[in-house]
Amino acid sequence: MISINPRSIYTFAKKEFLDNIRNKWFLLLTVLFIILILVFSYVAGGQTGGDTFGNMQNTVLLMMSISSILIPLIAIILGFATISGEAESGALYVVLSYPIRRIEVLLGKLFGLGAVIMVSIFLGFGLGGIVIAVTVGTESFGGYLGFILLSIFVGFIYLSLSISISAYCKKRITSILGGLILFFWGLIYGTVLFAILLATGGSYDSLFAGDVPEWFFNSVVFSPQDLYQTAVQRAFGVSTIQFENFSFEIPDFLSTPVVVISLIIWFIIPLILGYIFFKRRDI
Amino acid sequence: MITKRIMCPKCKNQLTIEGNPGEKKIINCPKCNSKGVFTFPGDKPIKKSDTVSFAIEVDGLTKMYKDLKAVDNLSLNIRKGEIFGLLGPNGAGKTTTIKAILGLIHSNAGTVKINGYDIKKQDIEAKKSVGYLPERVSFYDNLTPLQTLNFFCELRGDDKSIAKPLIKEVGLEDAIARKVGTFSKGMVQLLGVAQVMIGNPPVYILDEPMAGLDARWVKTIRDKIRKLNEQGATVIFSSHILSEVQNLCNRVAIINKGKLIAQDTVPNLNKLLNIKPRLEITIQGLNGKIPELIKNITGIESIDVLNDTLFITCEPSLRSKIITSIEKSGLIIDNIKTIEPSLEEAFMKLISTDEGGVK
Repeated sequence: MISINPRSIYTFAKKEFLDNIRNKWFLLLTVLFIILILVFSYVAGGQTGGDTFGNMQNTVLLMMSISSILIPLIAIILGFATISGEAESGALYVVLSYPIRRIEVLLGKLFGLGAVIMVSIFLGFGLGGIVIAVTVGTESFGGYLGFILLSIFVGFIYLSLSISISAYCKKRITSILGGLILFFWGLIYGTVLFAILLATGGSYDSLFAGDVPEWFFNSVVFSPQDLYQTAVQRAFGVSTIQFENFSFEIPDFLSTPVVVISLIIWFIIPLILGYIFFKRRDI
Repeated sequence: MITKRIMCPKCKNQLTIEGNPGEKKIINCPKCNSKGVFTFPGDKPIKKSDTVSFAIEVDGLTKMYKDLKAVDNLSLNIRKGEIFGLLGPNGAGKTTTIKAILGLIHSNAGTVKINGYDIKKQDIEAKKSVGYLPERVSFYDNLTPLQTLNFFCELRGDDKSIAKPLIKEVGLEDAIARKVGTFSKGMVQLLGVAQVMIGNPPVYILDEPMAGLDARWVKTIRDKIRKLNEQGATVIFSSHILSEVQNLCNRVAIINKGKLIAQDTVPNLNKLLNIKPRLEITIQGLNGKIPELIKNITGIESIDVLNDTLFITCEPSLRSKIITSIEKSGLIIDNIKTIEPSLEEAFMKLISTDEGGVK
């Protein structure tokens, strides 16, 4: 049985928060995030002419195209070297000589860095929400709240992934590579899938005709970024994604429970692996 | 409660005052009526547990890196209240040993107990009683020194009010609002020294605390080690420089290639190695001749002569016998010097023996 002292986790989380909230890369990305969200919420609000919260699809799709890139990026920047870098510099030597367990350090990092990401999300989506509410009203507020919560959760998933990378990599430089692979995995996943589709006899036309094999959509479970987008669509009760003159049905397989459980697995498994790597590690 | 006799700086009047260690007291001179503040010496008393006599027990510690034995079946017993030197050339396994003691690295075999607590089974209790200053210390770039020490106070469950005085004590009060990321290497090291004193732990482990510091700071660190020891703490520090260890330590362990070569007091190490003090006797008009009477004294290990000076290695008890023999020969002694054996010699001899050199 692993024993845990919540006080140590809190102390460590507070330290992580104070240190990383002043991280210059984090600040830069957060400013970028807020600006883009404000611009997009304003533009989307204007375009749909007073119907934004009634027809969230465009607004959320636009916002999601930013958040599904920037939130993972912020999480990766905060987490990729959080253990490997501190083991290399020597900061972890001192910390781990204090009466604190490694599990408490790991969870402290997760919650502290998670709180940092939440600041970004609340600022971005909060201000964006105000813009939308002022221009069009607050009809679909529940869905928007779900969108914020899912965004926080995807932040935690990427933290869990990047912290486990930093627990596994011996040096800062190798964890940079790990962080890059993690980031680009979400970006290139669709292309990889499409390549597999073409290699297995599918065609470009069949994709646009909506005539694709089931596995093509179902394999979304292998990309947390795509899962996040699907979950947000589910949160708004959207089952068809309309792009100009063609549309996708979200397959039945990707029901809300399946999506949520897949997201939870993406969070839990890396965290457990991260703990095992960190526990075994020589500092 | 301590009683102190102090002198009024104005009228030189002597008075006796009482107070607790670390207490600040406003003193009114009854004679000239001038006011002053007196701080009683000493810090808070060190937490001590008298049930265990060893501060650190290391038994059969082994650490492998692939095929290399970084620490090889090492056993150490560090007594409570002593200053213990961990001595060895660079790469001997000192840092690995220290990190294994603290549970930072996982040993392949052996047990470690700090203050009676097993570092693997009772890690929290064991680590509560130890303060550690690594050789390469680093903190968090975006925190101020005060935030850094507050964090460590909280981790120890200690009162945060000691953070500011500690920063002052190491001379970083001018940088109190700066981020640690802007600090020089030396300043970070000083913050490390402040950090190690949080919570007055009964055991201190300092890894090469004097490496790379200038003479002034070496003295400060030495004084600090002595002071901590006077307050009852056990101090273990590693070094590859003998002079750092020689005058400061009660006992010394010498390690090389991960193995313990010797563990003893400095005088005992000298005895063990059979290094004896050397007499240098300058005699008028000796001119390279060894007096016959001295040659016949039993127990002298070696005699050399250079111009008017004799170099004799022997037990210190033979000293008076040698001097009388010289005087009996009708020679006039100009000067006598005793050269104490240095740990340097002991060290070099031990290491060369260990590496297959001549015994």
